[in-house]
Amino acid sequence: MKEKSEISEEIKKLVIARIDARMPSNLKMSIGASGSLSKEEMIEHVRKGDEEGVQIVNMHLNFIKAVTSGDLIREINTL
Amino acid sequence: MQKGLLITCPEYDDGTSYLTYFSKAIVEEAINKSLKIKKIKDENLNMKDFSEIMEKLDYKLVVFNGHGLPDSIYGHKGNIIVKVGENDKQLKERIVYARACNAGLLLGSECMKETKSGSFIGYVLPFVFFMDEKWTTNPHNDKVAWLFLEPSNLVPISIIKGHTSLEAHKNAKRQMLKNMESLLKNKQEQETPFYLEALWNNYDGQIIFGDNSAKL
Repeated sequence: MKEKSEISEEIKKLVIARIDARMPSNLKMSIGASGSLSKEEMIEHVRKGDEEGVQIVNMHLNFIKAVTSGDLIREINTL
Repeated sequence: MQKGLLITCPEYDDGTSYLTYFSKAIVEEAINKSLKIKKIKDENLNMKDFSEIMEKLDYKLVVFNGHGLPDSIYGHKGNIIVKVGENDKQLKERIVYARACNAGLLLGSECMKETKSGSFIGYVLPFVFFMDEKWTTNPHNDKVAWLFLEPSNLVPISIIKGHTSLEAHKNAKRQMLKNMESLLKNKQEQETPFYLEALWNNYDGQIIFGDNSAKL
């Protein structure tokens, strides 16, 4: 299931820049079936636009949507 | 069906080792409540053995730790242990928690078709967590991983404590919101946005199928 990305090169570049600038090297992310990914591996997956890369980009975009739509704060305000 | 816990404990990469390590809290709660417990490990994490164990032990609560696909969940390495159209019906009347990517997309609804008292809690998105490489040999001290795995533990722990499936589902989601709130209120570190994204992903992706009132 190694589908290719429909995600634009521009968005990929933004996500890569963000990971590169902000993610500490001691962190690893567990996502999908490929075990845990280092910062460099995350960047590589996004660059290739493979399944993990698409998941990383989608996670980022979904969060932005949740913030801008007010969904995140609305949900937190239910506490 | 018996009040028991059947839990898969793969440990073949960092991700699965963490899931299994953090499952200790689930098993401890089951011990406290005197539940029967069956841990399935390593070489037994294949479809044949898993199906035989399910056939033999009618334990109500089943917890999967592992990598997942929309229609299936992995056990040890590349071994699929449950798959739609093969052995998913063995889950029909159980309370299932799948701490695995995407298995809520198809497996969750399929295995709970026409259930009377079963439920499935899982994810329609990848289940994501971060870990601190400094602590991979001693995950207990990994405060980063706790952010994600403690809320997810609340699904089975709530069930073991006697809550309904819907309450367990909500308890876990509520804890994720609390963790996000705490991250937003406290001093923002450069990595905080990554944690928020992953918590929101798990929050947004967690679903429930079957009988909401199902309990042990």
